[in-house]
Amino acid sequence: MPTVEGLISQKLYTIDPLASVGRAASIMERYGIGSLPVIEEGKLVGIITSRDIRRSHPNRLVADAMTSKVITVPPTTCLTEAQKLMAKYKIERLVVTRESDIIGIVTRAQIMSELGKHTDSLTGLNKAEIFYEKALELLKEGQEIAVIFLDLDNFGFINKEYGHIYGDNVLRQTALILNSLIDSNRDTLCRYAGDEFAAVTTRPLAEAEKLARQMVLDLANENWPGKIKVAISAGVAGGRCSELRSSGEDSSYIVKYLVNMASLASTRAKKLKKPVVAVEAIELKETVGM
Amino acid sequence: MLPQETSRSPEPQRKADITIKLSEFEIPPMQDILLVGKRAPIGPEAVRRMVDAVSPEQYEIVRLNHEVFEAVVVKKSLLKLLPKEKLLPVVIDEGNRIADDNMVVKAQINITIQISRTVDL
Repeated sequence: MPTVEGLISQKLYTIDPLASVGRAASIMERYGIGSLPVIEEGKLVGIITSRDIRRSHPNRLVADAMTSKVITVPPTTCLTEAQKLMAKYKIERLVVTRESDIIGIVTRAQIMSELGKHTDSLTGLNKAEIFYEKALELLKEGQEIAVIFLDLDNFGFINKEYGHIYGDNVLRQTALILNSLIDSNRDTLCRYAGDEFAAVTTRPLAEAEKLARQMVLDLANENWPGKIKVAISAGVAGGRCSELRSSGEDSSYIVKYLVNMASLASTRAKKLKKPVVAVEAIELKETVGM
Repeated sequence: MLPQETSRSPEPQRKADITIKLSEFEIPPMQDILLVGKRAPIGPEAVRRMVDAVSPEQYEIVRLNHEVFEAVVVKKSLLKLLPKEKLLPVVIDEGNRIADDNMVVKAQINITIQISRTVDL
């Protein structure tokens, strides 16, 4: 997952708590920045923002205008986590610290802009690279993962028969349904490409298969406009990745391997006219669900 | 027709009256209590540093959750006469009648304690 470290600017400006608010304002104006961490004897004691400055007399000490409660994050914080913290504390900036050293500031605008690069504009889901990064991160943490690969059936027909606007609506609605079923603590969903979606999950294979079945079922039961039939096929791959790891393969290979297996399983599900096909990564033991 | 100044006009006479009023400068420049407005040019931290520098340990700063004032700086000796729970609400209430949040208000306090005791003869 992308982290806040990539957004930190090279030069960090700070201010002393005994400086005046007017001085803080002039530094911010000169360098075009919206906040200054307040440092006293090498320690972070607060943050003064343009909002604090607007509310304060310019003669005041920074110490009397700053916000003392500073929310700090390590540089390894992922962007979605940073975004959640900002929403939780209703703040526009986070101070990035490594141990007790301040290394920079990230703003909400920077985070939203960066997240936008990793978000599919049509569905609002993650793009595939976030899925890959999350899968790698989980493997590096030593967790077992499973991949669910989902492919809309006859999507080309929907586009040709009803037009691309309708097709886009189907993709958006599909994304909403899939998103409502995932648990963000365990699953990361993405629009993989075109009419394909994928999720990486820390659920055991059997549970991942169950989730995939629910996804297929909920899409089938959806009341689609025009009463047309929209269906999706799912392939699931996972389980015992530790054996793959011990075989000396690197993590990116394992993720690609699982995605490939899950995508082939979804194709197989389509051919077999079965909603879900699950594959255990090592033993290649196939089960046909529902 | 108005008289016109010419280069030959005499220079106007200039005089200065000097009035001097001497009084003792208070250190710190407050006596008993200071009410600090939320948007005042000086904030509680600046006041704390000022009184700590010139009158160490003589004043206490009480932070407030008040619509106009951010803090009260009070001489500790006053609090020996009257607990702050009794004294401050009165001062803040009166200060609130005359001040806004841009102001720092100085209050001089005189407390008279009336005692009447009866002893057996």
